Amino acid sequence: MDITHSMNTTPKNIDELVAEGYQHGFVTDIETDVIPPGLDEDVIRFISQRKSEPEWVLESRLKAYRHWLTMDEPKWSSVHYPKIDFRAISYFAAPKQKPALSSLDEVDPELLRTYEKLGIPIEEQKALAGVAVDAVFDSVSVATTFRENLAEAGVIFCSISEAAQEHPELLRKYLGSVVPHTDNYYAALNAAVFTDGTFVYIPKGVRCPMELSTYFRINAQNTGQFERTLIIAEEGSHVSYLEGCTAPMRDENQLHAAVVELVAMQDAQIKYSTVQNWYPGDAEGRGGIYNFVTKRGDCRGDRSKISWTQVETGSAITWKYPSCLLRGEGSVGEFYSVAVTRGMQQADTGTKMIHIGPNTKSTIVSKGISAGKGHQAYRGLVRMAQRAENARNHTQCDSLLIGDRCGAHTFPYIEVKNPTAKVEHEATTSKIGEDQLFYCRSRGLSEEDAVSLIVNGFCKEIFNELPMEFAVEAQKLLAISLEGAVG
Amino acid sequence: MNTAEQTGTDLISVLHQGQRLLTPLPAALDWLIPLRERGAQGVAAMRLPGRKDEAWRYTSLAFLEQAEYRPLIEGPFDALQLDDVDEMLLNGHEGDRLVFVNGYLAPALSALGGASGGVVVSALAGGLGEVPASLRARLGEIAEQQHPFSALNTALMSDGALIHVPRGVASEKPIEILHVSVGTEQTGICHPRHLIVLEEDARAEIIERYCSLGDAVYFNNVSIEVSLGAGSELVHSRSQEESQNAQHLSDLQVRLGERSRYRLVLASLGGAWSRSDVRVTFEGEGAEAELDGLMLARDKQLNDVHLDIRHEVPHCSSRETFKGILDGKGRVVFDGRILVAQDAQKTDAQLSNDNLMLSRSAEVDTKPQLEIFADDVKCSHGTTVGELDGDMLFYLRSRGIPQVQATQMLCQGFAQEVLDRLPSEALRARTGKVLAERLNQTAA
Amino acid sequence: MKLSIKNLKAEVEGKEILKGLDLEVGPGEVHAVMGPNGSGKSTLAHVLAGRAGYTVTAGEVTMDGEDLLGLEPEQRAALGVFLAFQYPVELPGVNNTHFLKEALNAQRRARGERELDSVAFLKLIREKLAMVSMQPELLKRPVNAGFSGGEKKRNEILQMALLEPMLAILDETDSGLDIDALKTVSDGVNALRSPDRSVILVTHYQRLLDYIEPDFVHVLADGRIVRSGDKSLAKELEKKGYGWLTGKDEAA
Repeated sequence: MDITHSMNTTPKNIDELVAEGYQHGFVTDIETDVIPPGLDEDVIRFISQRKSEPEWVLESRLKAYRHWLTMDEPKWSSVHYPKIDFRAISYFAAPKQKPALSSLDEVDPELLRTYEKLGIPIEEQKALAGVAVDAVFDSVSVATTFRENLAEAGVIFCSISEAAQEHPELLRKYLGSVVPHTDNYYAALNAAVFTDGTFVYIPKGVRCPMELSTYFRINAQNTGQFERTLIIAEEGSHVSYLEGCTAPMRDENQLHAAVVELVAMQDAQIKYSTVQNWYPGDAEGRGGIYNFVTKRGDCRGDRSKISWTQVETGSAITWKYPSCLLRGEGSVGEFYSVAVTRGMQQADTGTKMIHIGPNTKSTIVSKGISAGKGHQAYRGLVRMAQRAENARNHTQCDSLLIGDRCGAHTFPYIEVKNPTAKVEHEATTSKIGEDQLFYCRSRGLSEEDAVSLIVNGFCKEIFNELPMEFAVEAQKLLAISLEGAVG
Repeated sequence: MNTAEQTGTDLISVLHQGQRLLTPLPAALDWLIPLRERGAQGVAAMRLPGRKDEAWRYTSLAFLEQAEYRPLIEGPFDALQLDDVDEMLLNGHEGDRLVFVNGYLAPALSALGGASGGVVVSALAGGLGEVPASLRARLGEIAEQQHPFSALNTALMSDGALIHVPRGVASEKPIEILHVSVGTEQTGICHPRHLIVLEEDARAEIIERYCSLGDAVYFNNVSIEVSLGAGSELVHSRSQEESQNAQHLSDLQVRLGERSRYRLVLASLGGAWSRSDVRVTFEGEGAEAELDGLMLARDKQLNDVHLDIRHEVPHCSSRETFKGILDGKGRVVFDGRILVAQDAQKTDAQLSNDNLMLSRSAEVDTKPQLEIFADDVKCSHGTTVGELDGDMLFYLRSRGIPQVQATQMLCQGFAQEVLDRLPSEALRARTGKVLAERLNQTAA
Repeated sequence: MKLSIKNLKAEVEGKEILKGLDLEVGPGEVHAVMGPNGSGKSTLAHVLAGRAGYTVTAGEVTMDGEDLLGLEPEQRAALGVFLAFQYPVELPGVNNTHFLKEALNAQRRARGERELDSVAFLKLIREKLAMVSMQPELLKRPVNAGFSGGEKKRNEILQMALLEPMLAILDETDSGLDIDALKTVSDGVNALRSPDRSVILVTHYQRLLDYIEPDFVHVLADGRIVRSGDKSLAKELEKKGYGWLTGKDEAA
């Protein structure tokens, strides 16, 4: 079955989608420049040199690397995996490319065909939808479209590598300011070996004229993906960023340790949406992606707002806690999440809302669906500091269990040091009701459809937060993810 | 390793000192030797928990470094008269009453003979006659040693109430277990140990209380084991009114047989440092547990409740309602874990923790947890933290009630839901009074 | 009791709601204050009762010549101000009887009067229950907890009967009530009318005024009283809608 995965196709019926399976399981033939596995200072110098980085970038990489050597791998979550051998990973893979392509005609046609299979018809559909795409192919950005449009508005949307060359002052000022390399083990590793990522800068008062998106792919065997994203929204600016990932089938687990930093100044708003579809491993749980990501938003300015919306359906193991530091007075943090685990997937994910300033507000809505032998845990922290006068948090965590071999867990940590702060947390765990299923079926729906309908209803609140086209892909993903899970 | 200059408590030393005091053991208590041995091994094997241990993340044991705790010995407390403790006794209590002073039974202060036919009330140290074989066999079989303190209790248990309600017997009157702590020259640590066994279809009501004479300094390290046979019912009230300079650590472990019902009402109002671990394990289908608790933390008190509700079999239900009131620099730590095992289908588990903060320097750390491995279940938890509702305060003030009184009324109202669950009128009245007094003491 | 409001201006969350309100209420008088949503009716009621969150930026309010705005809510209550809330709040765990007794005695204390003991209080409350046709069961429950809309409003009137205020402000007492409940509540209010008691009825709809006849009717629009008259004004409003006076499309 060769169905092109495209963002704007008409809705398929469930059976077709169900039969698609993991259709992104293929590998590109393009020769890649892969360095031998292993990690030491020389590897880092190689990466830096290959990217022609300024001296200060190399210095901060080395500093992070040296710190990483002193750290211990974290062991605390309810997730179990075989020990990762960091020396067996190759830290750089770039397709042989001519740099600085002025138009898409110059891009390797094989590459473009890869993008098409991935459902990124850059030329047409994206243009019509008004979405600029920075498609990251392995470790070096290849195609960057619509930069002129954005440049007119003053918006900078480029790869980190380019930012290091063209906007070094900005990069230097903000990189590592939200997630320092000392933050955690994977952040340190990332700070040492990050190969590329996205840099976004929205100047004062500008509403970014289009939704920004980036696709990721891990290709070469044993390549870890160490992407780095930095989004800076100056006073009064608005931006909506979409992140969607896919990856090919592999037997060896592949590590993905990304770092995302968001900075929102006074009255600025950043909306960060993710639809994650990394390869989850086969039925025995072999070969999937390990997704260990540090995502943090710093609401620096008063009345700034950062929203994280995610639909996680892939990865063998997910470990991510998109968080918000609510510093500015009246700043707002939001976290909307749907996480699906099935087969042998494990997820330990959640959020941290740290209320530092007064009148700050946070909303957490987490929906977990667990099927097969999947296990997921919501792990959240809501902290109200002493100065968080009149701060508010509302958290709702709901888990839906499909089948009796899976698990869903909730570990909320709530720490309050200010009496005027108000925290409300609620969590429920249940299964799809027999009554609900029967009702749908008595109206003519198949069991599969009924489950899909009910699960979609369960996740509706989250899908409503996604930019429209992502919402459609998310719903399809959900349906595919639950294929065969019921019964 | 306690050097002469160094203050601080090392549990191994406490263990050895305690063992010395217990030697020689009267022949009648030989049966405790293997159990004590097991406890001693536990103390040696387990290290003191610290911040890196999830279950002790928010609960500091720093107080152990500030003083040298010594095992409390049976002192000249036989001299304690009924008059001295009169103020603590519950009005109108007609059932059996066992009074323990610093961990040892004080027969002069106790009252026996009120229990109905068949109920066996015994004391660990033999003060009420030889401990029957049926109880001997159960001691130490119900609880698992979770941390070195529970192991220490097993190694050094001083005395305690052992209660056995045989099959089909319904104990007509509540049985009261009252602990009175009296200060000594040193900082004493004592290890009361209780055992409550209800056979099939038995029913009983137990009131367990902790009071002290004045602001004594001491550490009560308590362990309670409860076993409920099929179809049995236990109503268990626990009132902790320790001195504001004392430490109280209690490890309560309950096993429920099929169709049994356990009701716990915990009022934890005292102590400078107080921690109550409650583990409820469902071993038979169709059992129910209802736990209500009130935690008060004011001044620099730490009040910590850790619940561990284990649904290991299907068709059981549990409900926990815990409320915290904080004032001054008080701290409440709450951890409510609900575990539902893979085959525990049709489990119904609900937990709520609501916390009221009355001051700017108070702190709440709450963590309700769900670990669910079965799908045909109904589980939920909710927790809130906040201050008194402005609308409610205004309502009372607009009716002429001054701010301070209005605050007290609302706090009392907040606590009332739990207090109303206490089955004993006398205990309810007394607890309400103690609560009001302690809240008044720090009223703004 | 004479209430005098002069050029009252008040803000809520930085937004000016009352923009210079004048009103004189004499002893024994019943004044209806009507107006469209957002006109400031509830704000007026809450400012008079002393609710935090409402900032008075200009003007004065005096009761028998004494400044009211400088007083705390409980002080105003002791002076005889009573606000019957539109949405009476629930007080979980606080027994209704206990609350009523504490309130009455707190006010008596503040006025230097003798407090009532439990026996005397119970006798008194039973009389008042009869006066407002309320069920005794509601006394045993926590304040307003699980009360229906009608029961909550009746509880407010019971309090009014018990506390015998000089100035009763009824904030949209008719909202959420069906005809029967409305009648019962109105009967209660009417039973409490007396030459030393003044009443301000804050209402959106004319309907309430069929049951509690006002002596004066004022129309509050955009933070000011734009028209005053007798009860016939209310009838006119019902026919013509608020738009007639405000120039906007609003029904009465």
